[in-house]
Amino acid sequence: MFKLNLKIALRNLWKNRASSLINITGLAIGLASCLLLLLYVSYEWNFDKQGENSSRIYQVLINFEKPEGITTGVQTPGIIGPVLKQNYPGIEAMSRMDYGSPWLIANGLKSFKKNGRFADPDLLNIFDYTFIAGDQKTALNDPNNVILSESTARVLFGRTDVLNKTLLFDHKVNLKVTGVIKDLPGNVSSNFDFLMPWSLLEAMNAWVKEPHWTNNQWITLVKLSPSADPVGINRMIKGLIQKNASNVKSSPFLFSFNKLHLYDTFNNGVSSGGKIDQVILFMGLAIGVLLIACINFMNMATAKSEKRAKEVGVKKTIGATRGSLISQFLMESMVLTLCSAVMAAALIEFFLPVFNNILGIELTIAYSNPMIWASLVTVVVLTGLISGSYPAFYLSSFNPVQALRKKIGSSGLSSIKLRQVLVVGQFCFAVILMISTAVIYKQIQYIKNRPIGYQLDQLVEMPQEGELQARFEPLKEKLLQSGAVTAVCQTSGTMSDSNSDFWGLEWAGATDAEKHIVFYQMATTYDFAKTTGLKITAGRDFSRRFASDSSGVMLSQLAIKKMNLQDPIGKVVRYQGQLCTIVGVFGDFTWDSPFKTGKPMLISFNKKNGGMITMRLNTAKPASANLAMIERITKEFNPAYPTDIRYVDRLFAEKLQTQKTLGVLSNLFGGLAIFISCMGLFGLAAYSAEQRTKEIGVRKVLGASVGSLMQLLSINFLKMVMTAVVIAVPIASYIMSYWLKGFEFHTGISWLIIAGAAIGTLSIALLTVSFQAYRAANSNPVEALKYE
Amino acid sequence: MIELKNIEKYYANKGVKSYILRHVTTSIKEGEFVSIMGPSGAGKSTLLNILGMLEDPTYGEYEFMGENITSLNERKRIELYRNHIGFVFQAYHLIDEMTVAENIEAPLLYKKIGGSERKSRVADVLDRFNMVAKKDLFPNQLSGGQQQLVGIARALVAQPSIILADEPTGNLQSAQALQIMDLFKKLNEEEGITIVQVTHSEINAGYGSRILHLLDGVIKEDVATTV
Repeated sequence: MFKLNLKIALRNLWKNRASSLINITGLAIGLASCLLLLLYVSYEWNFDKQGENSSRIYQVLINFEKPEGITTGVQTPGIIGPVLKQNYPGIEAMSRMDYGSPWLIANGLKSFKKNGRFADPDLLNIFDYTFIAGDQKTALNDPNNVILSESTARVLFGRTDVLNKTLLFDHKVNLKVTGVIKDLPGNVSSNFDFLMPWSLLEAMNAWVKEPHWTNNQWITLVKLSPSADPVGINRMIKGLIQKNASNVKSSPFLFSFNKLHLYDTFNNGVSSGGKIDQVILFMGLAIGVLLIACINFMNMATAKSEKRAKEVGVKKTIGATRGSLISQFLMESMVLTLCSAVMAAALIEFFLPVFNNILGIELTIAYSNPMIWASLVTVVVLTGLISGSYPAFYLSSFNPVQALRKKIGSSGLSSIKLRQVLVVGQFCFAVILMISTAVIYKQIQYIKNRPIGYQLDQLVEMPQEGELQARFEPLKEKLLQSGAVTAVCQTSGTMSDSNSDFWGLEWAGATDAEKHIVFYQMATTYDFAKTTGLKITAGRDFSRRFASDSSGVMLSQLAIKKMNLQDPIGKVVRYQGQLCTIVGVFGDFTWDSPFKTGKPMLISFNKKNGGMITMRLNTAKPASANLAMIERITKEFNPAYPTDIRYVDRLFAEKLQTQKTLGVLSNLFGGLAIFISCMGLFGLAAYSAEQRTKEIGVRKVLGASVGSLMQLLSINFLKMVMTAVVIAVPIASYIMSYWLKGFEFHTGISWLIIAGAAIGTLSIALLTVSFQAYRAANSNPVEALKYE
Repeated sequence: MIELKNIEKYYANKGVKSYILRHVTTSIKEGEFVSIMGPSGAGKSTLLNILGMLEDPTYGEYEFMGENITSLNERKRIELYRNHIGFVFQAYHLIDEMTVAENIEAPLLYKKIGGSERKSRVADVLDRFNMVAKKDLFPNQLSGGQQQLVGIARALVAQPSIILADEPTGNLQSAQALQIMDLFKKLNEEEGITIVQVTHSEINAGYGSRILHLLDGVIKEDVATTV
């Protein structure tokens, strides 16, 4: 019986090649999209969940009590880890870690910038790294040890058996390779190319060792013993910081390390979601696209019910039970789904690199992993069951007499209605996605076009490292002489993103509350405004002509407003314990998120606090020549380091990356949703035209024109799409205005977008349907009437 | 074998009952060859459908082999289809996607008969109907008469005790029709299979042993044929 059913299913597929192809392709696209999205979801979901013990790893976070509420920080003082480990037996292992940054590491003359991190030796007991070479127990014991990732070892040495080899770190410290570990997957937040012991960091920077309780800089990770109770420990450690530093109001707590990536937003000290929202959104998108494809399948199957009705009737009279019929129809849908799955696998293989490129991550399919296969089979079987269930139960319910008398068409009123509902649902989803995409793009465009307060265009920066700190002035002179740049300045950090803030600025007449205002801070020397294009609204930029400017500061307009200062120029503030004169006021510029108002800002003068060299390219020369010139000159001054020049506008654009990804994905899957829906519509229109062949023939004989026949055939479908648009527009507007409200600066939903989406969908649908209608309406009436 | 008592069938439409069958009371014994005749709309096919349990009477009692059908559940009914009733249709109603052999084999599959016996029975029937050469063809590759032969073969292969035929020759040319009626007569006489057929043709009715004349849902005449 099984064999025969299979044989017949395959014969049916072959016999209706065209509609099978529509079904299979639609379902394959749906399956491929769904699986791609699920791959992404599982990537995010499994962030930091590698290893058996990942659920026992916690990160120490700190809740700060401030007048405006509790804020939560992920950075901790260096001393808290050792104190915790010493006093709480439930803590099995503890390690501090820095945030990692590109450091220079060299094997002889081969030098590279790689992501290096520092950590305590206990880190190797927290994470299950796979050692290719070296001993996990001792690999970080001495200050001159270093652990390399496999790929880093290959880059530096060309091989992985490199124990006890020597590397030069940051152009000054010799390190001995004591371990090589397998590369970490992309979804590990504590990723690194090479790992060095904490003792080295302490040896290089004496202040790291100082037992401050308020200097929040580092990540602190702990691993609890299996029997430890994190809630109990949290209760015990709550007062730890206040006990040691009585003037601060902050309390540390442990938070599951493997949840932090997805739940990194804290509201009043309590975790309130984060990236998980986006993951859930994508999961919904995955299921939605797959459902649309399933609906196609159901619609096509039930549309064919009249053809299949006879078969059902005959089989029932020769003794088929409903169960055997249901299993036959399910088998057919399974065969079809399987074909789609094969096609989907090919599509995924082909499009995975593109998808990775869009998302900027490295997703791979681990074919050796049985879980992947299990989930693949589950999705395919579920799809087969879902798409096959409705036709199976519907078709098998036919009464044999009615089926054989061909009365199904007139008695199947409810099934037609359901079909219509399904089509409307499909197009609703598609239209919502279309409108969402347009709104997301409009919002990104809006933010991009907002004035940001300085000139992004032709602004480049490079890290001020090695010799560039001490020899900045001669470098600046040489650069300006070369004509590659028109202005150069030194800044403590990049212009593209906020990187430092402080509170406790004092001035004459400041209230206690005002002393708690949080300011952004940046340090610079001369030519800041000239280089960046920042507008000075009162006073002036730091100038060589005034020797006293070395103790001057500039404040932003917002700062002046918040501080309630009248005539600020010349007034004195106490900043970092020193008295500074306000020499200028500058217009606010976007330093942090471009979606909301930033904090007030203070720019100080400090030659020692370099970090970044910011330059304005000379527009009179080609950019590539300028960059080459800068690189050549920099290399002269700082031969040990590779030059790393970056465009600030590109760095700035990264701030919009999350929204851009959202836009691209909803665009992509919205497009696919419409495409699949139209495929379904195409199939239904073809079928309806075929069914009405006789009617069309009769009407033509009676003198109907092609136009009127096309109208007759198309109108029902267009009505459905129109209904979908009418339903979808308010839903989409509601969702998107909710989304927009999440941004302080946001655009509105214009009628243009809605009209565009509506007209776009309608015209695509019209094109799809009218193609079939035209064919049907142009057929020879005699052909049509020969049927029956 | 079959006992009908006071069978009524009507459709109520806006309070008006339109009767299809009225007060039909009759009995059919095992081994009979009954033809149901009458003009279009007399209720012949409905009566046959009720006999085949494809339709339920609105009112009345129906006993099939001593069992009251009106209270039978779906499963029991399917059991009867599988074991006792064979249907032959005017439009043959073969399954287009199956070959001749597979069409004939289908009822045995539903009866859950073992593979080897299935093969031998199908081979047997094919042989008897001289269709061995055509066993791998699809229905649309056969003439109407051949298709109807397959239809009858399919009805016979499960060894039913009764064959219900709704105008079995209605779509056939007269020569083919005669062949089919000869076959029915032979089955009836040699194997003792009860046959009930609906027909328009006096000639076809002549093959049977008894004729029920139906007019406007009422049995007007019940006569034995004179051979």
